[in-house]
Amino acid sequence: MTIVIGFEGSANKIGVGIIQDGKVLSNPRRTYITPPGQGFLPSDTARHHRSCVLEVLHEALEEAKIQPKDIDCVAYTKGPGMGAPLVSVAIVARTVAQLWKKPLLGVNHCIGHIEMGRLITGAENPTVLYVSGGNTQVISYSEHRYRIFGETIDIAVGNCLDRFARVLKIPNDPSPGYNIEQMAKKGKKFVELPYTVKGMDVSFSGILSYIEDMAHKMLSSGECTPEDLCFSLQETLFAMLVEITERAMAHCGSQEVLIVGGVGCNVRLQEMMEIMCKERSAKLFATDERFCIDNGAMIAQAGWEMFRSGHMTPLEDSWITQRYRTDEVEVTWRD
Amino acid sequence: MEALPLHFQLDVPFPCSTEAQIAHNSLSPDAEPRKGGVSRTLSVQDNVLSVHWQADEARILRVSVGSFLEHLSLVVRTMDRFGPALSDS
Repeated sequence: MTIVIGFEGSANKIGVGIIQDGKVLSNPRRTYITPPGQGFLPSDTARHHRSCVLEVLHEALEEAKIQPKDIDCVAYTKGPGMGAPLVSVAIVARTVAQLWKKPLLGVNHCIGHIEMGRLITGAENPTVLYVSGGNTQVISYSEHRYRIFGETIDIAVGNCLDRFARVLKIPNDPSPGYNIEQMAKKGKKFVELPYTVKGMDVSFSGILSYIEDMAHKMLSSGECTPEDLCFSLQETLFAMLVEITERAMAHCGSQEVLIVGGVGCNVRLQEMMEIMCKERSAKLFATDERFCIDNGAMIAQAGWEMFRSGHMTPLEDSWITQRYRTDEVEVTWRD
Repeated sequence: MEALPLHFQLDVPFPCSTEAQIAHNSLSPDAEPRKGGVSRTLSVQDNVLSVHWQADEARILRVSVGSFLEHLSLVVRTMDRFGPALSDS
């Protein structure tokens, strides 16, 4: 029996999760929500995390009904992500690891998403689409690495959605992407936007500039509604993602797709992916917002796999890093 | 005006040396940003955590010290709430 506690705080969510051999014992989380039209800045986000991390940790232990002495390993997000929030959370992980005399383990955030998705859905060897506010990657496992087949060459798909929400002052509560998704359901007119797939990669910054430029003109002239824009943006962005995912599957002969990351709980993206999967007789795996959106349990789960295969991070090597690619980690826990 | 390097010294007493050492280990790993014009060194003597800064500019020194104090406060609050240290198991 192995129990791992995981700390996550690389963006605007702070979460602490506890995993015992594939079972989520607890997974509380708080989100730093900014007013409409504003993004979250590193220092404010770090302050938010510092103010509630201990409460979230307390909740995680209470809900799991375990004592610190029952824990085998303390996992935390080493990166990638925003520096100040990462440091704030890592400091708490280091301190409790020492207080409780437990080994520490730095986890790659992207690997956390993948391992949590595999655990929850039971997908064996899927082509992974990892889509969030900070990352957009198509990933396939081979020879002890999660290999990046395609990715964004500029901003993440979630960043494109978040920034579009700021232009229209769409609220950030519970998340800008969720509110865009709800508005998109009422969209009727498709407004053509640039479509930028470059081989296996995608680009979103041009689409964002384009829609930022034309949104107010088209809205004030009554050519389209905010709902139409939400709908058109989603259809365009998600079509691009489905296209590169399908190409990666064709390359690898893969019959499984797993969607992870915050944007992954968008039901419209899941529907579009499902259509593509049906055509190829492939199977789609996705999770809901509890596990798609950043959370502590995903770090605990990746930590569990790593700890069981012998990984540990000495305190002096426990520095955080804003850049940490998915394929830098040797996956020693898979064949 | 030729600016001299600025120095700042902080000595933080803890109830015991174990806690001073834990704070040291929690706060040491993340180095100051590359070529940021500021350096910070931590050391522990008995129950005292000592931190020394050297910087080219007051502005950078202030930011670094300020952020360190926030982190130190977080370590102390974590110890208060989830300490004291467990004995070896």
